[in-house]
Amino acid sequence: MDGVMSADIIVIILATGIRLATPFLLAALGEMFVQRSGVYNLGVEGIMMMGAFAGFYATLQLGTPLLGIAISLAIGALMGLIMAVVSVTFKAEQGISGIGLYMFGWGLSGLLFRLYVGGVTSIDGLKPIAIPLLSNIPIIGPVLFNHNGLVYTAFLLVPLSGLILYKTSWGLNVRAVGNKPEAADTLGVSVVRIRYECLILGGMLAALAGAFLTIGQANMYADNITAGRGFIAIALVYFGRWSPWGILLGSLLFSMADSFQSMVQVLGINFPYELAVILPYLVTIIALAISYGRVWAPAALGKPFQRGTRG
Amino acid sequence: MKKNVLSVILAVLTLLAFTGCGTKPTAEPAPQKTDVEKIRIALVLPATVDDMAWGQSMVDGLKEVQKSMGEDKVEVAISEKLGNAVDAGSAIRQYATQGYEIIFAHGSQYQSVLNDIAKDFPETTFAYGTGFATQPNIFAYDPQAQEGGYLLGILAAHMTKSGVVGIIGPVESGDAVKYNYGVQQGVAKGKADVQTRIAYTGSFNDIVGAGNLAKTQMSAGADILTGSSQQAVGAVRAIGETEGNYWLSTDMDQSSIAPNHVLASQVYHWEKVVTKIIELRKQGTLGGQHLTLTLADGTIEFKYNEKLADKVPAEVKAAVEAAKQEIISGKLKVELPKK
Amino acid sequence: MGEKIEHLEMRGITKRFPGVLSNNKVNIQLKTGEVLAILGENGAGKTTLMNILYGLYQPDAGKILLNGKSVRINSPSEAIELGIGMVHQHFMLVPTLTVCENVILGLSKNFFMDLKTAAKRIKEITDTYGLAINPDAYVWQLSVGEQQRVEIVKALYRGANLLILDEPTAVLTPQEANDLIQLLKNMSEKGNSIILISHKLNEVMAVSDRVTVLRDGEVCADVNTRETSQEELARLMVGRDMAPCRREGAFSPGKPVLELQDVFARGDKGTDALAGVSLRIREGEILGIAGVSGNGQKELAEVIAGLRKTSRGKIVLNGKESTQMSPSRIIEQGLGYIPEDRIHVGTIPSFSIWENLILKDHHQPPFTKHFLLQNRTIMSHSSSQVEKYGIKTPTLETPTGRLSGGNIQRVVLAREITRKPVALVAAYPTRGLDIGATEYLHSKLLEARSNGIGVLLISEDLEELTNVCDRIAVLYEGRIMKVIPVEEADERILGLLMAGIAEEAQVQA
Repeated sequence: MDGVMSADIIVIILATGIRLATPFLLAALGEMFVQRSGVYNLGVEGIMMMGAFAGFYATLQLGTPLLGIAISLAIGALMGLIMAVVSVTFKAEQGISGIGLYMFGWGLSGLLFRLYVGGVTSIDGLKPIAIPLLSNIPIIGPVLFNHNGLVYTAFLLVPLSGLILYKTSWGLNVRAVGNKPEAADTLGVSVVRIRYECLILGGMLAALAGAFLTIGQANMYADNITAGRGFIAIALVYFGRWSPWGILLGSLLFSMADSFQSMVQVLGINFPYELAVILPYLVTIIALAISYGRVWAPAALGKPFQRGTRG
Repeated sequence: MKKNVLSVILAVLTLLAFTGCGTKPTAEPAPQKTDVEKIRIALVLPATVDDMAWGQSMVDGLKEVQKSMGEDKVEVAISEKLGNAVDAGSAIRQYATQGYEIIFAHGSQYQSVLNDIAKDFPETTFAYGTGFATQPNIFAYDPQAQEGGYLLGILAAHMTKSGVVGIIGPVESGDAVKYNYGVQQGVAKGKADVQTRIAYTGSFNDIVGAGNLAKTQMSAGADILTGSSQQAVGAVRAIGETEGNYWLSTDMDQSSIAPNHVLASQVYHWEKVVTKIIELRKQGTLGGQHLTLTLADGTIEFKYNEKLADKVPAEVKAAVEAAKQEIISGKLKVELPKK
Repeated sequence: MGEKIEHLEMRGITKRFPGVLSNNKVNIQLKTGEVLAILGENGAGKTTLMNILYGLYQPDAGKILLNGKSVRINSPSEAIELGIGMVHQHFMLVPTLTVCENVILGLSKNFFMDLKTAAKRIKEITDTYGLAINPDAYVWQLSVGEQQRVEIVKALYRGANLLILDEPTAVLTPQEANDLIQLLKNMSEKGNSIILISHKLNEVMAVSDRVTVLRDGEVCADVNTRETSQEELARLMVGRDMAPCRREGAFSPGKPVLELQDVFARGDKGTDALAGVSLRIREGEILGIAGVSGNGQKELAEVIAGLRKTSRGKIVLNGKESTQMSPSRIIEQGLGYIPEDRIHVGTIPSFSIWENLILKDHHQPPFTKHFLLQNRTIMSHSSSQVEKYGIKTPTLETPTGRLSGGNIQRVVLAREITRKPVALVAAYPTRGLDIGATEYLHSKLLEARSNGIGVLLISEDLEELTNVCDRIAVLYEGRIMKVIPVEEADERILGLLMAGIAEEAQVQA
């Protein structure tokens, strides 16, 4: 098996890639709704940290990861609400308030951890659920159908997000509010309300992404556990052109490249490790550079909505 | 404008929240030399005080010193999460200004910032590591990580069933390189046909990344793993969830995270280094020495996890012990990677 | 949806904004099937009145009666409920959504959208009024005229039978405007009521049954269209007799002052906004550039002023090649420039009037001597300019941004013409100005012409072009379709050229 990409190795690379893609998918899909409504929330990383801590702490105290997920979602909603109050109601500069939220989340999660836990503490996280029959299919089975519940959730959220965005009235409102809020406003769609809803949804999904790291991967908590994944998620929203399928593609591309480079290193294939660790970023940037076509950034992205005063 | 005021308030609030947990100043306000005997020590850490690795090992060392010399004789202040050398620099300067006598900057990245500051405080003793370059008032400390690594490597070579030992590297630099190279030599010495596989995460503190890399290592066949830096705990936790795989820890004993999986440890006894620096200072040596941590002087300890000690066959223990004695006696010099 | 609006009355409407009485005891009436035009200059209070009817503002006094019953309209959605629809001057459409999605936006109460049923209903509406719109097309793919039709469909879909249109033809080509007028007539015949806000006399005459004229926030006339004339309406609107500007004196152009030879330039989107433009402007002539805006007009003006790089071709100004010159060299070489955005490009809004008046010459005598600004000279120069150009301002120190659009344009005009340029580029100089200000600007352009200045006038108002210009060039997708003498130019030919149809115009011309 030395240095040879056997079928087994490929299965490992793909299954790991699926697992690694999960937090990006969750956070990026949430941020996609936020940006589609015309707000960009750079605080994703901070919300992820809070979600990671909340999920971890609740699991530790209550003993069940499911409650951890529930509490993490609630904290995420709260963080999204804070961002909404600051950036939608008070119309603060979104870039600054997002970075503020990131630092707030980072500081607070670290502080709470120090106050209530401290030290390295393990929890019993989510267990993989092998889907009967499907998980027995050769190659595809172990790659796709032997993961924990949050992995399935993340991937099911892709078509679901597409359905919500393109087939529901609420999705239509989101797209309208992010592109031409004044038009939505004249038709009785509340711009403020839609943006609040999106920020809260985005916060919940970012927190879930964080909880996945503690409950679904590391089964422990440490300071700065997200290690920049929230920012990568934001980049993937741009990469995915604000579409769920694009985000899926970007998340998989990045994570598969990451999984691949780990395996290349592990198998001792002669390849400089400095290059290996930047491979996922490199692949993603190159893919972004060579892909072309019209970029559909939500036209009102980053602009606080203000109803015209004097006509 | 309302918007600007709000942004400023938000920024201040977050900074407060941030620094509130980032810096951990001493509980008691510095008493102004009421007790001449009392020595004041400050520590600046790149990661956290409870990282179960590099940082915590030093914190434990300082606590040990406090205990042995008496709480009233030693005052310790710690600032953590200062991975950025510039932020660390301002903390160090502040400690120096406040009259701390010995300031530990616990990371190789602090060397240059320390050189700047030390000139302005000639009466203060500074120390940093891993490193070797010194100044009249700067000590450099330098754990010979390869020595323990070598012993752990021998152990790994004998204990592996799959014939593959995996190393989770943070970044290819400093202490980690020395340690990894020691392990590799030990494995090769222990059993010629056992492979060592090194893979790096590219980060010191990505515990999730380290955990994932450990899973990849295991799925590709490694059954004994090791690795340095604070991210290692993520890998330890990942191994803790498996059956029949072992972890070898370095910097400190990490068996509390996974009692059934951490087979043995290389432990740094910082209290001895700290005590030595205190003594040197008392004798009037403010710095200028390159202090190594070695098996020979007991600042590095090789230690089995008592709970698992009986899993290691006697002849393996004997092989490890023999190598240890050779290193201590100086008969064996574990090589360092050539630059 | 409420009952059908048979009769609307706005009675005694008064609306005050800080420092301005926007509507003062305004009365209007409208019955089913009628087209009412509300005519007035900018700032006369037309839009305020309609925003009150549409629920965007609340009146300080007065009431709105629908079918004889008093109603309060607190928001646009309430107006829509009552059957009132509004087509804004700037379309309220989301470009990235389809026609169908735009139409049902804010309506669906169900979780899932029912686009099929919606498309069917849209089809019914478009069939009834003969509107050709594909419900699945994205709005960004549609022409301006089509987008306007989407706005109308949107209102009708919501059950509107009283439609307010705010300056609907401002953005249309003449053909599109004619189509719209036909459509409005058709709609009113089918029992809808229409309120048309406009300051264009010809379209008011063409489409309306009745005209209510607003001046300074008050109704100054309410007449049947059939019983009035354009001249009378103009007089009512402005409050004095109007003499439309005409070119006088023989057309005797001199030597060329500004020449463009096969000029290419990229637009902001990176595509060729100008694709081989060749033009020649001579002393004492006004060359008009007609075309629907967005066909390269902005880039044309900027290229000449040196604010945008050419990618190919040559520009000659006053006998010297100016293609590579910096904007300041081009100014020295004798170019006057009235930019499209008079507030932010033409002036510095926070600067005082006198500062803006000397903006291009402050560094040289007589305004500066020994590096010092000569205050006395500047002030006497400025006050004489203010007087000569009739700039209405409290003081010379007033920030220019506080003036009305017409007065800002006078400041720009004063500065540019006083410098005695050899060539003057004016981009949409009358856009948004009322009749009085427009008339003044035209007279000044003609004065410049008789002083031997070569003028390039970019406009989308064909009446303005045919009144003022000697020759008219039509710009379409960055190319000059044709340059025709004004005598041969009529609205139909220009319209065809503006739509990019050269052959037919050729044959007919």
